[in-house]
Amino acid sequence: MAKIDKDATFVGDSRISAKRIPNVSPSYSEYPGKNEAFWPDFLLKEWMVAAVCLVGFLVLTVSHDPPLTARANPNDSSFTPYPDWYFLFLYQLLKYPWVAGKYVLLGILGVPGVAFTAMILAPWLDAGKERRAFRRPIATGLMFIALFCIFFLTWEADHHHTAQLAAKGPAAAAPAPADPNFKADGMWAAQTSCISCHGGNMEGGPAAPNLQKVGTNQKPEDIQKIITEGKGGMPPGMFKGSDEDLKKLVDYLASLK
Amino acid sequence: MSKKEISRRTFLNYALMGTGGFLAAGMITPMVRMAIDPILKPKASGSEVAVGSVDDFGPEPKKVDFKINVVDGWHKAESTNVAWVRKLEDGSILALSPICKHLGCTVNFNDPSGKPNEYFCPCHEGRYAINGEVILNTPPTASLDMYKVTVKEGKVFLGEKEKNPRGGVKG
Amino acid sequence: MMQKMYDWVDERLNITPMWRDLADHEVPEHVNPAHHFSAFVYCFGGLTFFITVIQILSGMFLSMYYVPDIMNAYESVKYLQTEVAFGVIVRGMHHWGASLVIVMMFLHTLRVFFTGSYKKPRELNWVVGMLIFFVMLGLGFTGYLLPWDQTAYFATVVGVQIAESVPIIGPYLKYLLTGGDIFGALTLARFFAIHVFFLPAALLGLLAAHFIMIRVQGVSGPL
Repeated sequence: MAKIDKDATFVGDSRISAKRIPNVSPSYSEYPGKNEAFWPDFLLKEWMVAAVCLVGFLVLTVSHDPPLTARANPNDSSFTPYPDWYFLFLYQLLKYPWVAGKYVLLGILGVPGVAFTAMILAPWLDAGKERRAFRRPIATGLMFIALFCIFFLTWEADHHHTAQLAAKGPAAAAPAPADPNFKADGMWAAQTSCISCHGGNMEGGPAAPNLQKVGTNQKPEDIQKIITEGKGGMPPGMFKGSDEDLKKLVDYLASLK
Repeated sequence: MSKKEISRRTFLNYALMGTGGFLAAGMITPMVRMAIDPILKPKASGSEVAVGSVDDFGPEPKKVDFKINVVDGWHKAESTNVAWVRKLEDGSILALSPICKHLGCTVNFNDPSGKPNEYFCPCHEGRYAINGEVILNTPPTASLDMYKVTVKEGKVFLGEKEKNPRGGVKG
Repeated sequence: MMQKMYDWVDERLNITPMWRDLADHEVPEHVNPAHHFSAFVYCFGGLTFFITVIQILSGMFLSMYYVPDIMNAYESVKYLQTEVAFGVIVRGMHHWGASLVIVMMFLHTLRVFFTGSYKKPRELNWVVGMLIFFVMLGLGFTGYLLPWDQTAYFATVVGVQIAESVPIIGPYLKYLLTGGDIFGALTLARFFAIHVFFLPAALLGLLAAHFIMIRVQGVSGPL
């Protein structure tokens, strides 16, 4: 048990001393040199920096809407996966043959594992007293190499991805997002078998694409061919009407741009 | 009595540890068992789905989509599976799953970014020959999985996925 | 009035020593950007915390509209982004903030590394900082899936597949993450739970440890 001063008095039956400590800030002369009190002197400066950053951040959020691609469709085989940018360097690393195939463990556990373990153990790997970066060239050098690799891999991944999208053509690069304000023609409303997959306003669904702008990249004869013969998951012969109606529907779809 | 007596304080410490262990285990056990349930659940077996008649398929791989019933937790849904089906030289049917054996992306036959007559994975440029054989020195380590194929009355039925026995080839 | 309330609380809980300790602790000249402009590098840690606060707040508000179910997740995100006033801003804060927090944390780590501040006696704080780094990456990974859109879905499939190729524990790890044979409703629910409860709890604990250690040890001295 802690020693208790017999003469001390307490607030009621509590362990709080009845003697109040005055709540006053020390005089500025008590801080040596240009040292500052945390509150309010230094905190004000930190908050001013934070305010500048917040303004920049809010400008970014207002000017750039957060991206939202189409609803996830597990059966879409044409979609090229792309992780968030800060995982790109790891993703790119796995493309190289010396960390893939039978060396894949090296890529998944070896290289990143060694790098991350080295980071965690940095205080013991670099245990000298010297703190200045240029006086401990090994630690600084390794960090610069790691930084270079991260930047290079991220750049490479982005470069590869852009090239792949270009090879696929514009249609795959930017799947048309569904327009909630789009109103389909009355003719579409009659095509119940189409609606069951492509949606009441042609917005598309998990197994069928959005048709709101289908005329942009499909010619009328192609559209007719898809309707009669099917494509991908779409079975042939879904359209049950007369040839004349089919022609009308194709013309309508081709006019959507 | 044993020679080495434990003091009252040590005994109480042990008792405290035991009680604490019981409290922790009593709280955590049901939660952990619930969390790891997916590992311990028996796998559901799939059914066979018809994808067309034998004559529909030639030597050139053809992409077919077929519907399977999927139970995903509380969602029971029809999901579309994809297979690339071709007729082999001996007349039997080979149905490959387009899931890349590297990191699970979807491969494509005759992809514009890849090489002709090969499956190509856009993620890490994995390549497979026409029967799913992995091309050596590309990222994947195994050949594309195949669906179990049964032919009944001229119709092709696809079942569960199984390992492709074909080894890697030089590309 | 305020003074009376303060005195009332202080009489019962003796808060003055704690408050004076926090308010009066000395901030040395070499970390003060008002004296040396180059000291702005010491701001990155504070800014990381500031953006983390934004993330926690915006995340709390996003969860008022978000539903973690595969049928509704995408619809709820689309709804809050297109129909709800300022929804697009709040989601934007959470989305861009996630990137910014990684950037700030990266810069903070580099500052600590190049000033050698991780050396004795601050080893433990460096280790805690690294753990915070991993928790943040985990938050980024799990949060990326939640809108259930195409990029989210396929990026996460690849991520989980990477985890699966780890020997021995890989397949179990995959089942723990996906919650089943396929990548669907159970996966989304799990990622939601990890993103919203498990990792933030770990993060708050680690942050508390990080800050207490800084207060106990003080800022590392000038070079």
